[in-house]
Amino acid sequence: MADQNKTGGAENFYNEILSPCELFAARSRSHKIPARGQKDFYPDDSEEQRQRLQQSLDEHWNLIAEERVERLGNLVKATWVPSDQIVELQTPAGKFWQTMGFSAEVKQYLLPEEALYLMECGNLLVFHQDLPLSIQDGYEMFLSSDAMSLQQYQVFGHLKRLGYVVHRFDPSSEPSSYVRQLNLPQSRERGGRQLKRKRSPSPTPTCSHTKTPGESLAEKMEDDDKLPESHLMTSAEPPEPQTASPHSAAKGQARTWWMMDAPELEADKRSSPGSPSGRLRWNFSTIPFPDLGSTSRPRCMVPVDTSLLPRDVTVGVCDLDSWMRKINLRKVKMSVKEQQREKHRRRWDVNKDREVQRCRNWAEYHELLARRQAKRQGRPAHLWNREVKPLHDPTQPISTAELLEKISVVKSTNLLEGASRLKCSEEWRICFNVYQPDSVADFKKSNPGKPYSRMCVCSFDGPVPDLRVIKQLAFQSGNVPIVYAVVDYGDISFYTFKDFQLPRDVYA
Amino acid sequence: MEAPPCSQVEELQQEQEHGSSLVVGLSLCDSAPLLWRFQDLKTVRSNSLVGALLGSLPRTPRQNIRLGRPLLLMPEEERVLREHHGAAALSAWNQVRNRDAAGAAELRQRYEEEQQRSLEEQSILALEDRKLALLRAMTSSSGSESGAGSDEALQCRLLALEQNFSFPRSALAVQLSTARAGLSHCQEACAFLEADRPIREQDSPRRDARYQVFRDLWGRGFFLTSAGKFGGDFLVYPGDPLRFHAHFIAVCLTLDESICMLDVLSVARLGSNVKKTVLLCSPAPDGSVHYTSLQWSGMM
Repeated sequence: MADQNKTGGAENFYNEILSPCELFAARSRSHKIPARGQKDFYPDDSEEQRQRLQQSLDEHWNLIAEERVERLGNLVKATWVPSDQIVELQTPAGKFWQTMGFSAEVKQYLLPEEALYLMECGNLLVFHQDLPLSIQDGYEMFLSSDAMSLQQYQVFGHLKRLGYVVHRFDPSSEPSSYVRQLNLPQSRERGGRQLKRKRSPSPTPTCSHTKTPGESLAEKMEDDDKLPESHLMTSAEPPEPQTASPHSAAKGQARTWWMMDAPELEADKRSSPGSPSGRLRWNFSTIPFPDLGSTSRPRCMVPVDTSLLPRDVTVGVCDLDSWMRKINLRKVKMSVKEQQREKHRRRWDVNKDREVQRCRNWAEYHELLARRQAKRQGRPAHLWNREVKPLHDPTQPISTAELLEKISVVKSTNLLEGASRLKCSEEWRICFNVYQPDSVADFKKSNPGKPYSRMCVCSFDGPVPDLRVIKQLAFQSGNVPIVYAVVDYGDISFYTFKDFQLPRDVYA
Repeated sequence: MEAPPCSQVEELQQEQEHGSSLVVGLSLCDSAPLLWRFQDLKTVRSNSLVGALLGSLPRTPRQNIRLGRPLLLMPEEERVLREHHGAAALSAWNQVRNRDAAGAAELRQRYEEEQQRSLEEQSILALEDRKLALLRAMTSSSGSESGAGSDEALQCRLLALEQNFSFPRSALAVQLSTARAGLSHCQEACAFLEADRPIREQDSPRRDARYQVFRDLWGRGFFLTSAGKFGGDFLVYPGDPLRFHAHFIAVCLTLDESICMLDVLSVARLGSNVKKTVLLCSPAPDGSVHYTSLQWSGMM
């Protein structure tokens, strides 16, 4: 307790200086804090209550009045440099050096808030003009609204006392929005992939150049409308696109003997469709295929035209009986209803349908069939053949999320959308990087790594951060969450704003 | 203001005996009013003004449950003090420290002398301490032995101790003062703060309403603290917060201010969650304050 000289004047009343005797006696001080008891609900003027109150108050004043006393050898000494607003260490730093302070040239320095915190912990003795500073001096000299305000220091101290590592936030040390937009390491790869189109895998972009002759030929083949598979053929030989196209053509020829004229891949020759250039062409309408399953069974088979067979293959008479035995010729057992239905089906003549009669050609008949099918499936044509179509075809499978996406009027957004365009606000800025306490053991000031969170300090008296501020600060912070520390005189509350996406998919 | 209870009157009388008036010294830090001197904190508390402690507690600095000096005052508390002529502005650090070279040199010399004196005194005390420890150790180990032999040995040991004893400067216990005082303290020019000193924040009707409500409740003997976390303006305690729970959350509104139903609902909900009654407070033009309490009643 402070020495109170009862016979002295006003100055002694406020004297908080300890005598050497008291300083010496401070060694045997207790380091425990008395636990606070249960509170009462209502003052009832009882003596018991008054005594408990007095006891609480006495304990309180004992703790508050206690002055910091330390061994000189345990204290690190430093000086305050007002011109630079920095504290320069005069004796080597202690354990705190692992997470606080910085070196410049040969000397060790502390930031004002770090020095003030260490003074409050009783680890640092700061001199100014060769006289030691009191804690009050430290508060009044080191804290100001331009460098580190009182509220910011309150948050700093609060976090430090809990064990966090707290550093000032430096906006220039974060990659700028432009650099992030460039997203440099990946862009080349993406461009290379775009050159490939839907071909089979060919890794180098140079493939695309040699492919073009092959591709254009494939397109020509498609135009002919006869060989949908031939372009696949060309793509099936990707590894050697540099070889001359006739090479691929030769391979192609070997496999297309049963098809229409194999295309002449020389540039000058373009075979016209339909002309047999020395190749066989089957006219399926003249080749009879016996229907062995029909009710009127042919007893004998017409022999096959030898021109259709490969060379040196002879065909004898076909023994139908053994084959017939392999076919299931049993009559299907049908119920009466089914028999009637079958009879009706046989009698039904599609040509009697009026709508069918109205069709003048096959194209219209196909359209009629498609229309009827669509109606059956719930996709009526009159809805789908106009400019304004239904949003979604009910016959197509779709996930709930995609469907909601289609019918949504308001699009959901995320916090960082559009944030890169926002300019920095004057009043709101990120103050601190905060690192977790358990990282202290291997914490390196030169490479602190990704912070646990970033702090923005404000007060209940001031404005609430609006969406613009939240977006802008979140963008500036990158992938580190921002915490808003709201100071209310002695109290600090911490708030974060997190992105939340409403669930859109239904999982059974 | 109500007549304060007995114990406080005694305290006031004691202070008056000391010759100091009931004035606390305010220091500004980043334009916030802080109290640093222990006696000022006591004075203010005895006037049922609570304030908020901001600093680390010297005994256990690395925790946030109990904090130490300085004490931060709410604007309403500061204004109440000023209106009762209870606050004086203490000189700022630059007024105290910027003195001429001769004055600075003198102070430095005084400081050195003080340190030296302290070193010598502590050295003596340390030696005494060691002697006592030695004595205790020797008498306890010797037990029932008595006689001149053990006494002589004791004297020998004590002498040896004295000759070999050294008290290095690094062992010197020094004080890291909380409040600015002592050598760097010079006689304050106590400028009594007048009530019409411009307040830091702009006067707004809301601020004024807050102050009227604060003064009224304080005048009735309640202790008030800030209630930002509870969605209100003040937490109202029937007695010292060290011993009692808060009963009310006071929300201050001007009489003509409209409040939307959602706000009433949310503050009522909050109040019932923390088991405190919500008070809607509005100062009337005649100087009194109207209070409306909100109670959640279910009509089932």
